[in-house]
Parts: sequence; structure tokens; C-alpha cells
Amino acid sequence: MKQRLLIRSSLRHLGSHPWLTALSLLGIALGVAVVVSIDLANASAMRAFERSTDTVAGRATHQLVGGPSGLPESVYRDLRLQPGAPVSAPVVEGHVRARSGDQRILTVLGVDPFAEAPFRSFVPRGGGRVDMGAFLTEPGAALMTGRTARALNVKAGDPLQVAMEGVVKPLRVVALLQSGDENRAQAMEGLVLTDISTAQEVLGQVGRLSRIDLKLPDGEAGEARLASLRPLLPEGVEVIRPHTRGNAVEQMTRAFRTNLTALSLLALVVGTFLIYNTMTFSVVQRREQLGRLRAVGITRRELFALVLGEAAVLGMVGTVAGLLLGVVLGRGLMELVTRTLNDLYLVVSVRSLSLESFTLVKGVLLGLGATLAAAMLPAWEAARSAPAVTLRRSMLEDVSRNRAPRLALLGLVILALGVGLLSLPTPELLPAYAGLFSVLLGASLLVPWLTAKLAGLAAGPLGRPFGLLGRMAARGVTSNLSRTAVALAALMVAVATTVGVGLMVTSFRGTVADWLESSLEADVYVSPPALVTRRGGATFAPGLAEQVRATPGVASSSTLRTVQVRVDGVPTDVRAVDFGATPVRPYRFKEGDPARVWKELEAPDAVLVSEPLAFHRRLGVGGTVELATDQGPRRFRVVGVYFDYGSDTGTVLMLRSTYLLHFQDARVSGVALYAEPGQDVDALVARVRERAGTGQALGIQSNRALRQLSLEVFDRTFTITHVLRLLAVGVAFIGVLSALMALQLERARELAVLRATGLTPRQLWGLVSLQTGLLGLLAGLFSLPLGVALAYVLVHVINQRSFGWTLQLLVSGDVLTQAMVLALAAAALAGLYPSWKMSRANPALALREE
Amino acid sequence: MPPAQPVVELQDVSKSYAEGDAVREVLANVRITLHAGEFIVLLGRSGSGKSTLLNLISGIDLPSRGTVRVDGRELVTLSEHERTLLRRERIGFIFQAFNLLPTLTVEENILLPLELTGRDGLDSRNRVRELLDTVGLGNRAASFPDRLSGGEQQRVAVARALAHTPPLLLADEPTGNLDEQTGRKVLDLLEGLTRREKACALIVTHDPGLVARADRVLSLEAGRLVEREARA
Ligand SMILES: Nc1ncnc2c1ncn2[C@@H]1O[C@H](COP(=O)(O)OP(=O)(O)OP(=O)(O)O)[C@@H](O)[C@H]1O
Ligand SMILES: [Mg+2]
Repeated sequence: MKQRLLIRSSLRHLGSHPWLTALSLLGIALGVAVVVSIDLANASAMRAFERSTDTVAGRATHQLVGGPSGLPESVYRDLRLQPGAPVSAPVVEGHVRARSGDQRILTVLGVDPFAEAPFRSFVPRGGGRVDMGAFLTEPGAALMTGRTARALNVKAGDPLQVAMEGVVKPLRVVALLQSGDENRAQAMEGLVLTDISTAQEVLGQVGRLSRIDLKLPDGEAGEARLASLRPLLPEGVEVIRPHTRGNAVEQMTRAFRTNLTALSLLALVVGTFLIYNTMTFSVVQRREQLGRLRAVGITRRELFALVLGEAAVLGMVGTVAGLLLGVVLGRGLMELVTRTLNDLYLVVSVRSLSLESFTLVKGVLLGLGATLAAAMLPAWEAARSAPAVTLRRSMLEDVSRNRAPRLALLGLVILALGVGLLSLPTPELLPAYAGLFSVLLGASLLVPWLTAKLAGLAAGPLGRPFGLLGRMAARGVTSNLSRTAVALAALMVAVATTVGVGLMVTSFRGTVADWLESSLEADVYVSPPALVTRRGGATFAPGLAEQVRATPGVASSSTLRTVQVRVDGVPTDVRAVDFGATPVRPYRFKEGDPARVWKELEAPDAVLVSEPLAFHRRLGVGGTVELATDQGPRRFRVVGVYFDYGSDTGTVLMLRSTYLLHFQDARVSGVALYAEPGQDVDALVARVRERAGTGQALGIQSNRALRQLSLEVFDRTFTITHVLRLLAVGVAFIGVLSALMALQLERARELAVLRATGLTPRQLWGLVSLQTGLLGLLAGLFSLPLGVALAYVLVHVINQRSFGWTLQLLVSGDVLTQAMVLALAAAALAGLYPSWKMSRANPALALREE
Repeated sequence: MPPAQPVVELQDVSKSYAEGDAVREVLANVRITLHAGEFIVLLGRSGSGKSTLLNLISGIDLPSRGTVRVDGRELVTLSEHERTLLRRERIGFIFQAFNLLPTLTVEENILLPLELTGRDGLDSRNRVRELLDTVGLGNRAASFPDRLSGGEQQRVAVARALAHTPPLLLADEPTGNLDEQTGRKVLDLLEGLTRREKACALIVTHDPGLVARADRVLSLEAGRLVEREARA
């Protein structure tokens, strides 16, 4: 190794500033950790879902499915009677909530054990320890793995109560299943196996099947069988592939996951700026030393490699720490992600973090890549160092001051480019992110020029109360522009990011609150408990909805049925609304004339679509959608697009009369009651509760309570965003701290001269604090407009393109104040250590240090 | 003796610095040829351009006009990379401001040119020890430069410049911070190398005593280089 001494010299340099090195390592580590943890949490949730769908799908190659309420049993019977019928098995599947143990959500899988052999190996076929007689004949007989039984606190032979949409159903665990290996055990967690009729009874699907699994040969032969099968199927029955369901879920949650990933990448971008700051510092600080190396014969290439090498070491250590931290963090985030997915989209239970090697590799590449990319420019700067003797420090600062206006101009160009990218009329996200990054970069390039201007202005006002020290503090900012500007730019980006994300969340919440205000107009809302909070879909026990609607004190009422239907092949929530006698139409329209829409909707083929659906499927008034009705696929005309912030995948709305025409389903998922004038709402709630009885646990809420509850769910789904923002704040704080600290430590010699010429430790502290304070203030001030711009982009471009929502940007004073406090507090803290160190240090020693 | 290729050859070299709008010429039409085995002294008042001249010869700086040749290679036509390699291999430079690396110990500072020229091994460690003993710093090998006095640092700089026995030695006031006795020892060392290895040494000094030892005496006056008759 020819460069052993050089490397040793580098390592010593890093080691001589342990605080700074540690802080920048922390910056990289946090950046990587956030990205990795979000990725792991997302992947684990998807993996868990995949595992459970794979388990229940078994080895089926195709599935026969029907409308929202499944298939009549007769389809299976008829199929078996066909000559040359394919290998098939009936399945009834649904979710219930356990009423014991950890009250988890269970998947009830009803099967016919005699048809199961080709499909699911875990279903017992007699002969083993499982008493098949009891399983088949005893109503409510259920099987589950030992692990699931433990979680539910039951043993073989125990009764087990489950709740289906608020109605309690009794089961009995007749035996425990052997799960075999760990993978299988995980896949079978929360699975309750019953025979067909028990599942139908528990899930309220008597006489119906969820689907029929088929096993067809591969290739041509299979295609031929399929072709001969199709004409025999009754209307409304379709053949799909089992993975379609997984794909649908994948797609449904994609925007959500992409958004989280993007936010986590933002943390990495901030981290990258910090690395850039650290590396630039380490170069600027060693200008003199690098010049000496050049003078004794180190080539430019060698210097470039040296600095990149340093970055690689930092990057490697930081990345490894980040991976470890990411796994720890991932466990916490996994729960948040799972809860949010369960609130918004689907039933999934994620019990363990799956350590995807792909994610870890990606983490390493991102961490190292970001560090090296960030170190490129500083390394190039280092390589340009002139040999020491010809170099004068003041000349360098002259150069960076002269360069400032040109950089600012370049910054403006890049800003303009970013704005151009952002306003490209495309639904693609990539140009949006590129635009966002350009805005950040462009703004950073403006910083040197702005700093020089503003610090010049500050010299006067600071000089008056603080005298010469005040002027020195202000002048220090400009006379060290090459360093201060870099630090300020990094700080600005870091703080602006927290402002941007903060404003995005408050804007989102404000818009949702507004929307709730206008869409919740009834006085009392009644619905059975749904497993996925935001989606609803649970139905009233027969007759109960009518009973609730007839409660004395109710002037009028409307009902809603939410059901999942394949719309253009994609499972989508469809809402059938019956306004009854109420004149209230609590919808606002983005497209369509509110005065005419309701009339038009009365046509038997008319629907409304929500804004996100219109966005994702490129629909508008005049467009059509195909719904898989019980009578087979039917086309519907879109007559309006309404605002809806309840679902980012989108919903279809139709009148109940239309729904009843196309679907054999008279159930109701929700009832909205309008009180008679003068009727006390709380009393009405009590009366409804009394009338509803105890057969089905219903959610009965006043308007105010429901609004509150909805906002709580909203806040819950944004917890993870808050956590991400807090992490970004953490990275930003570390950034401010390390940058300002570096700046002061770097001036050790200058400060020592001041001490030697008679400045007291207290005066020194004052000087350092004034300067870091000034920088903190500037960073805070710069970050506000950039943060608002960032929020604008996040709200109007990125969110719009991810979810299809129109949101109003709300600039909240709280968020802006927080940013200023963050910058100033970190600045105050950053001044403490260097001034403490300098006031204790022996000036003679400090003067010797070069 | 057949006239060997000159080690250094300057032809009509001028150097001026721009400061703001003002341009100041420091060196004007300097012409000089230095040969192997010569021990040369360069005199001149403070600010007369001595350090500037050494920078030009070492390729650290480039002339405004004229040509500089080292080992027959014209510096201006070389790339920055080639110039650096030439300096690394062929030149030992004792800088006026020492230019020691603060993150390397005394021993490592001296080892650096050896390592850079691919000569790190036990031999080179011994050579460093030997040099350190000679300059009287045998017991400071593990110290960092900022812990040394000015004179001690200067001696480390001398040892570093000599470590890889360069054929061209440029010394900018190598005894400026030293007492008479130590200074003489350092000069013995420089002269020893020149004589033994047939190197060429160009030494900037204010010490008139040194003139007596020199093969040639040069002097910078108002930007012009004048050669005085050396006392043999
Ligand atoms: N980078 C520079 N910019 C402007 N002027 C310079 C620069 N470098 C050197 N000078 C000027 O060139 C002149 C010669 O400088 P140089 O360092 O060569 O003098 P010197 O003879 O070595 O003096 P000393 O004996 O004091 O070391 C001085 O007047 C100096 O101010
Ligand atoms: Mg000089």
C-alpha cells in the first residue's frame, strides 16, 4: 500500500474531531435507518398478506368468483356434475374478531375436506389425531394451530366466541393442527378452519360460497379446458387467477407505500446534505494541509481518491449502523404501518419483521451512494488545492465571495428548471420528485449570495448593542463564506423539509376536517363494527336497520350499503345510497352540475365516482365503468365526480334503487338519522341504542362524536408520517448542531488569538453565541419560504399525483414557529460546546494547533 | 569533465502577481543554469523574490513568461499530474514555513516522501531514524509537529527533504530558526548530500558565513538574478 501514511493521516483527521465525525455518522445512519425501516415495514406487511393469501389459495390455478355476495352453492354442485369437470373445491372465507385472548382478527376458512386433497395440504383428511366425524358434523367445530390457540387463550375442546359484524357466534376448537415448520406456522397464524356449513353460518353466507378453487393443467390443455368451461358457467360467474387478489391489494396500497417511501427518502436527502456539509468542511478545514500535501508531491488524483476514501469509510460505518438501527426502527414502524393498513385498506396481521435481503442491499447502496455522491464535489475541491506556498486564505474567501453571485444565478436556473419539471402536465411521479430535488438544490445555491447580503446588513444592528464583538460576529459569517454558506444551505434544507412535511400534514388534516364538516350532516349515525375502519361494509342483522330508522324522534333517514365490487376488474368499494325522505345531499362535486346530478343519477346505469377514482382510472363525466354485477359485467355511465377524502383508492356511488336492480343484496351497512326539530340528539342516541337491543353490537354516534372519531382515525393513519417527520427533525437538529459546531471548532485558532489578546471566557462565549445565533436565525429564515414551497409541491403535485386528492394548502403558524425554534435551539446548543472548550483551553496550546 | 545535462535551466523567466488591478513584477528575465554536484547559495533582501524563484523551479508555481527546465523537461509543457510526480521523485524542498503535516508524527512526516516514491520498508525506517539522530531529534520521532519548537520543526522539514536523497535540493532559509551550532550541523548535512550523491542544492539564506562554503553565489536584486564570483 503506497498511501498508508496518507490514509493514516486522514483517519487521524476524522479522529481529531470525534464530535463532528460522530454527528455526521449519526446523520448518515439515521437517513439510512429511516429508509430501511420503512421499506422493511412495508415489505413485511405485504409479505404477511401474500403468505396468508397463498395459504388460503393453496395450489389452485384458477378461481370461480361471483358478485359481492359470492356464488350460490348450486354452481359447485352443477360443476361437479359436468362430464370431465375440472378438479375443484368450494371455499367460504371471511373475517371475524375473536372475543378472547388478544382479540385478534381471524380468517375463517370453510372447506370441504373431501375435496381439499389437491389444494391445501394442511386440511386434515382423517386418520390423524383430528376427529373428522366431529369436525364434519358438529356445528361450530373449528381447527387452528397451537400457536393461534395460545394467542386466543384456548385449548383443544374449549369453546371459542367470535364476533361477526357485531354479532357473537359460538365455535368450538375440536382439535389443534400440526403446523410443521416456522414458515407454515406463520402463514397459518390467525387461520380458523371449519367445514363449509359452519363457515356459512358464522359469516352470514348461508347457501353461498365465496369462491370455487380450480386446478387446471398448465399450458394449452388448461386453456382448452377453461374455454370449454366458460360457456357452462351461469351469468355473473367469472374465472380469475388467484394472484389477482394479491395484485389488487398490492395496487390498492401502492400509493400509500410509495408515499411513505418518498418521505423516507426525503430523510435521506437531508442526510445527504449533511454528509456534503461534513465532507466540505473537512476539506475546507484542511485547505492548508491539502496544499502541503500537494507541495510535497501528492497528485490531484491522489487527493481526490483520498477524500472519497474518507467519505467511503464514513459512509460504510454510518450505513452499517443505519441498517442495524433500521431493523430496530422497522419493528416499531411495522406496527404503525399495519395499523394504518388495517384502518384504511384491508385485514392483515403482521407478526414479524421479515428481513428482506433486497431491502438491506438497497440500504447499503443508498447509504454508500449518497455519501459518495455528496463527497464528489468536496473531493473535487480538494483535488483543486494549489500547493501550499502559493495559497493565501483570503484569496480563497475572495474566490467564494466572487463566486456567490454566479452560483446564485445558476441556482435560479436550476430553480426554474425544477418549476418547469413540476409543472409538466403528466401524472408521473418521477419528474415531480426530480423537480422537488431541483428546487432544493437551486435554493441551496442561492444561499451564499443571500448570506453575504444579509450578514452585511446585520453588522450594523449587531454592532450597536454588542459593539466590536457584534460586528465581528456578523463579519465572521461573510469572511468565512466558503464554510458558513455550505453549513447554512444544509441547515436550510434540513429545516425546510420538516416545515414542508409539517405543513403537508396540517393541510391534509384541515382539508379532511372541512370535508367531514360538509359531508356529515345527519344527527346520528348507526353502523355495525367494520374490520377495516375507513371502509365499512359490515351489515345490519336482518330487520334491524328498519327498526333503527323507525325510532321515534327521527324525522327522516338515509341508508348506505358499502360493498366491494370488481370495477373494470379491480376490486373497488361501491356505495349504494338511499336518501329516503331527506332532502340533504351531503356531497360536493368536482365535476358535474350539483343541480342536475341527482336527477341524472336516477337512470339505472348512472353512477358517481370519487375524485381519486376518477384520477386513478382517468375518468370524468361522460366516461364509463364496468361493474361485475350479479348478472354479469355491466357498463355504467359516470355522471359526476365528487370529493371524498375517505378512500385514496376511490369509490363508486349509486342510488340504492340502481344497486338493487343489479345486485341480489338487500342488506344495509349504515344508517344516518335526521332528528325531528327540537329533538335532543343525545336522547335520540340513547333511544336508538335501546331499540337496537343487544343482538348486534352497533356503533351509534352523534354527528359530533363521529366527526371526532373520523379525525382520530385520520390522525392515527398519519402517525407514521408524524414519526417520519420527527425523524427528519432529528436529522435536521443534528445537522444544525454539527454544522455550527464545526464552524466554531474550526476557528479555534482565531478564538485562541482573541483569548491571548485579552478576551474573557465570557466574552468569548458571547461572540460564539452571537455568531451561531445569527446563523441559526438565517437558517430558520431561509427555511421558511423553502419549506412553504416544499409543502406546496407536496400538497399540490406529489400528493395529488399519488392519491388524486385536491387539498388546500394551509400555512400553519405553529409549524413555522417550530422550525424557527428548532433552528435557534440547535444553534444555541451548538455554540455551547466550542465556547466551553475554548474558554477552558490553554490559549498557548490552541495557538500551536494548526 | 564532459558537460552533463543541467539539472535546472531557467530562460528569461518572469513572474508577476496581480493584486486587484495592480500588477507587480517580482522576477524579471531570470536566466540561470544549475548542474549536478553544485552547492549554490541564493541571497537577496526580504521580498526580493527568492521563495518565488524556488516555487517556479519546483513546479509549484508557473512563470508568467519564459521557460523552466528540470532534468531537461520543460515544466510548462507538463501536465499538473506530471509536474507533481517530477517534484515527488526528483526534488527535496525545505519550505520557508516548513509545511509539516499536522496529522502525521515527526517520523511519519519524514517517511512520507519515501513511501510516495515506493521505498517503504525496514531500510527506509532505519534511514528515518538515522536522519532524526543526525538533526538531533532522535527522541521526538513519535511527537506531532505542533508540539515542537520552531527550530525543531525546521529540522524535521530538513530531514524530510533529504529522506529520499533527491538529485535536486531546494532549501528556503533552512537555518533561519536555528542557533549557530545547530545551523552548522544542518548545513553540513546538506552539503554532505550534495557532495556524496552528486546532487544539486540551491540554498536561500541571509547567513553570510554560508557564502564561504558555496560553489556559486547568486543574488536577487530588484527582480534580477546576478551571479557573484564564488570564493573557491
Ligand atoms: N500570491 C501573491 N500575491 C501577491 N503578491 C505576492 C504573492 N506571493 C508573493 N508575492 C510578493 O512577491 C514578492 C516576493 O515574495 P517572496 O516570497 O518570493 O519573497 P522572498 O524573497 O522569499 O522574501 P523573504 O526573504 O521575506 O522570504 C513579495 O513582495 C510578495 O509580497
Ligand atoms: Mg521567502
